[in-house]
Amino acid sequence: MEIYVDLERCIFCRACEVACERVHGEARITVEAVKDRASVPVACHHCEAAPCALVCPSGALTQEEAEVGFEAGKCTRCGLCVVACPFGAVDLDPASMVQKCDLCPEREVPPCVLTCPTEALIFGDRFEATEELRRRAASRIAQSYAASVGRDRA
Amino acid sequence: MADDGLSPTVCPYCALGCGFYIRKGEGGPGIEYMLDHPTNEGALCPKGNAALEVLGHPERLRFPLLKAGDGWRRISWEEALARLAGEIKETIRDYGPGALGFLGSAKCTNEENYLFQKMARLLGSKNVDCCARRCHSPTIPALNRAFGAACMTNPISDLANSGCIFAIGSNFAENHPLVARWALRAKDRGGFIIVADPRLTPTAWLADLHLQINLGTDVALLNGMMNVIIEEGLYNSKFVEERTVGFEELAEKVRWYTPERAAEITGVSASSILRAARIYARSPASAILYSMGITQHSHGTDNVTACADLALICGHLGRSGAGLYPLRGQNNVQGACDMGVLADFYPGSVSVSDAEGIRRLEVAWGGASLPKGMGMTAEAMPVAAGDGDLRLLYVMGEDIVNSDSASSRGRRELANLDFLAVQDIFMTETAEMADLVLPAAAWAEKAGSYTSSERRVQWSPRAIDPPGEARSDLSTIIRLADLLGLNFDYSGPEEVLAEIGRVVKSYAGITRERAGARGGVIWPCPFLDHPGTPILHQEEFSAPEGRARIVPVDYQPPAEERSPDYPLLLTTGRIVLHYNAGSMTRRSPSLMRRAPELFVEVNPGDADQWGVVDGDLVEVETRRGEAWARARVTTRQERGVLFMPFHFPETNTLTSDVIDPVARIPEFKVAACRVGKMKGV
Repeated sequence: MEIYVDLERCIFCRACEVACERVHGEARITVEAVKDRASVPVACHHCEAAPCALVCPSGALTQEEAEVGFEAGKCTRCGLCVVACPFGAVDLDPASMVQKCDLCPEREVPPCVLTCPTEALIFGDRFEATEELRRRAASRIAQSYAASVGRDRA
Repeated sequence: MADDGLSPTVCPYCALGCGFYIRKGEGGPGIEYMLDHPTNEGALCPKGNAALEVLGHPERLRFPLLKAGDGWRRISWEEALARLAGEIKETIRDYGPGALGFLGSAKCTNEENYLFQKMARLLGSKNVDCCARRCHSPTIPALNRAFGAACMTNPISDLANSGCIFAIGSNFAENHPLVARWALRAKDRGGFIIVADPRLTPTAWLADLHLQINLGTDVALLNGMMNVIIEEGLYNSKFVEERTVGFEELAEKVRWYTPERAAEITGVSASSILRAARIYARSPASAILYSMGITQHSHGTDNVTACADLALICGHLGRSGAGLYPLRGQNNVQGACDMGVLADFYPGSVSVSDAEGIRRLEVAWGGASLPKGMGMTAEAMPVAAGDGDLRLLYVMGEDIVNSDSASSRGRRELANLDFLAVQDIFMTETAEMADLVLPAAAWAEKAGSYTSSERRVQWSPRAIDPPGEARSDLSTIIRLADLLGLNFDYSGPEEVLAEIGRVVKSYAGITRERAGARGGVIWPCPFLDHPGTPILHQEEFSAPEGRARIVPVDYQPPAEERSPDYPLLLTTGRIVLHYNAGSMTRRSPSLMRRAPELFVEVNPGDADQWGVVDGDLVEVETRRGEAWARARVTTRQERGVLFMPFHFPETNTLTSDVIDPVARIPEFKVAACRVGKMKGV
């Protein structure tokens, strides 16, 4: 499972950040706007060949199928994972061990996804997420087509 | 509180009425999402997520305070209310009730606002108003005249059924983020989004067509669109004929506004105007969304009228997906207006000049004699204080000093009052000026109903206790009224809501139980078994003979224009991480971390010309004053226009105090300005 983004929908409101901060004490997802034209939420992608887990010398970060797990007891705060993550999604704050999105295992759906006003964040495996993105795109195209040829909307 | 420890509540920020749960836990109260709420489906914007941060805040007012020299003296509630009652009686004795002013609150419950205005009017004062004056006061006369009802016509979620959503003067993605959810659902279904805004906002990101219009030229754009629609025969002649009056005069008026002339005024290309007009008119069901970009102008009432005209000639009203949406600002601004906390209306939209309506209220309120005629508006009260006509002002939950335009003037005028009483949850800048400060319970610490922008009346139960000796505004008003001899014998908000149902027709079928069910009830709900009315104007309008009135209006330029001394225009607005005058969000750590200070957006071309560097502190000056703000160099707006959010006190020292002649709203949206000194850092 992972958190995917429908970039057409992100409105840079940062509700996901505030929700994550509310649950974890600090935000493990960050939204950045680019040239005031679009914005992108970034969190741990739970990569398939996760550089952070590959470089972790103590076995604290581990690749478990489609998720990158973390065991605080094994962390030595060496910081290699922070250097390795290409998205900057892994952090090491002064007070604690590695900080990164753990997909809120105790909840059915992570709060960042539930709180998103525009449904820009999609929680699921890659196939579910891409299917949802295709469904939205297909619906848009099909409805426009139906309207353009004069078929009334259902 | 439910057995599972979850108390349902209504978000205290904007007017969408989003629901969530407050969970009582060991580490303090927490939020759980309400997935089955009809408006927000569990989702919350950043402010909603941060809402609980104000509850246990260390700066909450905990005790009644009396001004003592330069500081404050803590006093008992008994002493505080006796003092306020004494001052009110003395003012009536020396100057008459016309010297009393009452500012109600669009943040307080329906029950509190209802009793607040009832108290004021039973004391004989006509001077009752609230902050609706600064946001949607033009909506009230304009839509009352057009439709006979001044409110949103369809529910927010019904936007998903629109084929075309036309947002003009509304940055809903920032100010009402949950609207974007439903607009995007419409887009998923092939809907087209048009956004008219001088700035490239996150709302404009969602648009299929962005019309970047010059400040204050909305009427020219709307008349231009109507010119195309009439010229090309795209208007709905059946709807116009059967359900409206005034079409011929409009057709005559907009003939002058060819796309080319409209393009000249608005700065939008004629082809874009043509395109917008055709798409809006031709779609099977179109919705117009507007907000303060339409209302906060010296011709705000004309702007709203032109929006209504466009909807009327195309017949995009009275059915699913077709509506006019004035997006209101505060959690209970619709309710405060319904409850008659307005200088021009008694509860239930009974005009202050409607003798028959007032007579019915006199009977309902026990045979009292009630004042008739227009009272002082929120804008007029500080002026009257300065002139010595207003001697005592009682403010419930408003920070007028920071919300008024040209705020330095207002501050000087309020200082001239004999007595200022302020009831609030924080020591706002208005409270700092008061003689007496009364600590109020915040929304989650009291029970009552709120009416959202979509007319949805929802009960919000008390979830936690207020801090210190803070009390609900309802109990404060009831006790004060007792001391004034008014005999407000109410056991609690439930009983007040029952009285509201007897006085306000559209609330007649709304009870504590029905308002407390998930999603509450959407008024008009004229009797107990009535399901509520999500879509207005389906069969007929509330205007005379059931017909809507089309009223032609002409374009008027904004009151201030660029001049050699003030070569730029300043516009103001909101950002997603803050709320109104900021007394809550500026005390909310998770929001302040993300938006810590006042900024001014400057186009790169202007930045070059005036030597502004991104990140510098820059002084912005208007004819009213000057303010320092952090420069953000961005192409969000075109050359010659600066933007500042109004959540920080400095912004409204700059804004214009020219008012709309009908609705008396100041032109917050346009002020001629210049940039002055810079400071690095």
